[in-house]
Amino acid sequence: MNRKDYSILIISTIISLLGLAMIFSTGGLSYFTRQALWLGVAVLICLMISRFSSRFWQTFALPIYIFTCILTLIVLVYASSYPRRWFNIGFFSLQPSEFAKIGTILFLATYLSERKKIDKFTDFFIPIIIIAIPSFLIFVEPDLGAAQIFFPIMCIMLFWAGMPFEKILIFFSPIISAITSFSIYTWLGFMIIFGIFVYSRKKLTEILYHLIANPIAGLITPIIWHSLKSYQQKRIIAFLSPWIDPQGISWQSIQSKIAIGSGRLFGKGFLSGTQKKLEFLPERHTDFIFSCIGEEFGLIGILITVLLYIFLFYKLLRIARETKNKFLSLVVIGIMSWLWYQAFINMGMTLGILPITGVPLPFISYGGSALLSCFIGIGIVLSIIHNKY
Amino acid sequence: MDQELKTYRFLQTLLFGAFAVILFFSLKLQIFEGTKYYRLSEENRIKKKYIIAPRGKIYDRWGKEIANMRPAFYVSIIPALVDKNSIETVARILEIDINTIQKKLKIEKNPYVSVKINRDVSFKQISIIEEKIEELPGVEVGVEPVRNYPYNQLLCHLLGYVSEITDLELKQLKEYKIGDYIGRIGIEQQYEGILAGKDGIDYIEVDVKGRELGKVPEYRPIPPIPGNDLYTTIDLELTDSTAKFLKDYPKASAIAMNPQNGEIYVFYSKPGFDPNRFVHGLTDEEWLALNNPKEAPLYNRVTMSCYPIGSTIKPFLALGALDLGMIGAEKRFDPCRGGLKLGNRYFRCWKIHGSLNLIDAIIYSCDVYFYQLGRYLGIDNITDILFEVGFGKPTGIDFPQEKVGLVPERKWMERRYGKNWTEGHIFNLSIGQGDMLATPIQLARAYTIFANQENSIVTPHLNKNLNTGSKKIEKKIDALKLVREALSGVVARGTGMMAQVQGFEVSGKTGTVENPHGEDHSLFVGYAPKENPEILVCVVVENAGHGGSVAAPIVGKIIKTYYEINKRLSSE
Repeated sequence: MNRKDYSILIISTIISLLGLAMIFSTGGLSYFTRQALWLGVAVLICLMISRFSSRFWQTFALPIYIFTCILTLIVLVYASSYPRRWFNIGFFSLQPSEFAKIGTILFLATYLSERKKIDKFTDFFIPIIIIAIPSFLIFVEPDLGAAQIFFPIMCIMLFWAGMPFEKILIFFSPIISAITSFSIYTWLGFMIIFGIFVYSRKKLTEILYHLIANPIAGLITPIIWHSLKSYQQKRIIAFLSPWIDPQGISWQSIQSKIAIGSGRLFGKGFLSGTQKKLEFLPERHTDFIFSCIGEEFGLIGILITVLLYIFLFYKLLRIARETKNKFLSLVVIGIMSWLWYQAFINMGMTLGILPITGVPLPFISYGGSALLSCFIGIGIVLSIIHNKY
Repeated sequence: MDQELKTYRFLQTLLFGAFAVILFFSLKLQIFEGTKYYRLSEENRIKKKYIIAPRGKIYDRWGKEIANMRPAFYVSIIPALVDKNSIETVARILEIDINTIQKKLKIEKNPYVSVKINRDVSFKQISIIEEKIEELPGVEVGVEPVRNYPYNQLLCHLLGYVSEITDLELKQLKEYKIGDYIGRIGIEQQYEGILAGKDGIDYIEVDVKGRELGKVPEYRPIPPIPGNDLYTTIDLELTDSTAKFLKDYPKASAIAMNPQNGEIYVFYSKPGFDPNRFVHGLTDEEWLALNNPKEAPLYNRVTMSCYPIGSTIKPFLALGALDLGMIGAEKRFDPCRGGLKLGNRYFRCWKIHGSLNLIDAIIYSCDVYFYQLGRYLGIDNITDILFEVGFGKPTGIDFPQEKVGLVPERKWMERRYGKNWTEGHIFNLSIGQGDMLATPIQLARAYTIFANQENSIVTPHLNKNLNTGSKKIEKKIDALKLVREALSGVVARGTGMMAQVQGFEVSGKTGTVENPHGEDHSLFVGYAPKENPEILVCVVVENAGHGGSVAAPIVGKIIKTYYEINKRLSSE
């Protein structure tokens, strides 16, 4: 690997510049200026971090994890307004949940790299506890969107550490059981088909797990469902049937699809998106900024954005593969899976194929903390490339 | 393949697979469904603001406006911006039910489109709302042109009215939209296609809150096309006089027309209603009152009421018999001794006439003579002539509602009474009682055969630019001449003497319709002058008694007024 390879920083900055243009289009000059400042700061910090020794991360993984978790806890207690997500520090605000992602990835990588073999059922428990702490704190902020991100990150890191895919699938089958339990027939179908799959693997622990965990998950889901806040329930319902109440809960999803669809091949032109300009598009400069790309630059714009991301993730994946140190490789995979998952979830949501959860689009959505944390992630990867040990 | 490579390949597939899904759905939305979503985005931002096209005016024959437009206030609500309090306040001020408002708001799918909730609102109510408008988000007031009938009840049945289109009609009539007015009954319905204009459209850009940002330059506004004016044959002044002549009678109808070309001067029916009320939208009580079966003010007696025609039938029997050559003018039957025995029934005449010839039998309206003439003619000959002059069929007038009446021909009799129907039925029919039914407009039209010098029956019409035409009746000139002489005699010295007008030779025929439910109906059909008549009048007064004493003088007065108006206007 080239010691001077800055391609992931360059590509990230290009994506951020695209984001900056879109923030100018959606939020105007004041948002643009603030984000531009943040971008400058973020790139500087990224370059600073890239100089760190890669050993630093291993040494400070646990302290960073604890520090970011404490920050998240503090914001819960001291945040001045609801939802309790931000520290207001003078003229800017910080969102600790964005940094908790980095802390969690580092610490999870430490734990997984210290194990010789990761392939037993019991190997799930510690990682789950590691992600459960920040995840829970963020969930009660409440920020369901950010809370759920830890889970796929953990799955991909476990997989990279050697856990067979089927095991992950079996271990998390209670989640599928819970989802399918909304209809008794779907649930029974899942229990039977999945049961046959587990039985064919002829592992007693797996069979027992299926017979105990999945029925419980399926049965307690209705209880959990009723404990959700009504807006959370509504979002899920809106996702399942978006035209049920077009003026109400599905408004955002429909308006986002209209924005993207109406962009057609070449888009309505920069600054000319009517869905955006006339405020039909919700959360234009944050969660739904991708819809604005679709509206103003059309399929071409979306294609370019996606290609930039693909290039970035392809590079990250290559770096993870070529990094021989297990811990560092896991860190890169963790950072990649975090950014990748957020990008996918955000785009899927704006296209109406995934439920609406407030997940920002990495490098593009307006928000200092999110941008900074992304560049810190890139900085960590750069430090790993540049300081092999 | 080693495990590490497998893991790498798997992740790579997952990564690119996810973005392939994103690209696939983008392609679907933007390329395959792009046009649809583009249209939706345009519908989001562009509000169509309709510019209401005024309805065409309606004029009488002298160019006086009998239906025009006036400005009226309306109150509308933008559902997305209104709150519960405002709805309650508006409901209280306008004195309408909250549910009625909410129902209207639900019909419109786009919550940013303002919905009219009340129209033709009083100035006082508008002032109260205007005063509070700052506290009433989403509530708007405006002015629109609405139909106005300056002579309200006088021409109601002739003109009809306009009212808001119903949901059911909206489904059938694609060119209309919510809140449009549509013509109902009368000329408004008949000439909807001419009178209704086409609303224009202003394209206004709105934001998500429905705030108007201004016109959209790339969409050219469509100017409204006003409806066309309609010139009718109606004589407003003569109609007004007719109404005055009939003021003492609760239920009546009158037609005055030109028997040469079919132009209708008077088309009047009472009781009536105020057509202006429909613009506002009727309350339930008002609607019930209009549909009350006893008064039935919406019921137009000119074309919808069917009566037996009484003695006005007699000239047709005479014409038929003369034309067939079955009798001559001097034909005498058994003399009238006040009635005629048929089997064990006794058919009365209203007077003892003694022996009369045909002409005198018409002049003095002798029932006994016509019982015998009817028997002599037979059912088929009688119904032939009745059909020929247009009974039992619609007249073809340019008017949307018309009943056909009934001519009891042989087949009908057999269906109704079996094979056993008797000569008694013919007796009744011969004096215009019993089963036969006709509308006043049919009766008027049938009499044009006597008044028209071309020997045609002329179909009446209301649109000055329309000619409904005439139908030549192949009858011997001599036969027609004889009946005309008789009709002239009716007024000169017979039962219709009260229809006389100084200076004019009026001809006509009285009719008294026996009414099992009360007082007889009074009929008279007359025309003047004797040669080349200019006006033919048919008056039916319900429950008023003898045709000669009630309807005949009214016809006389109408004819007199007609000449007075014409004399005055032609000298002006």
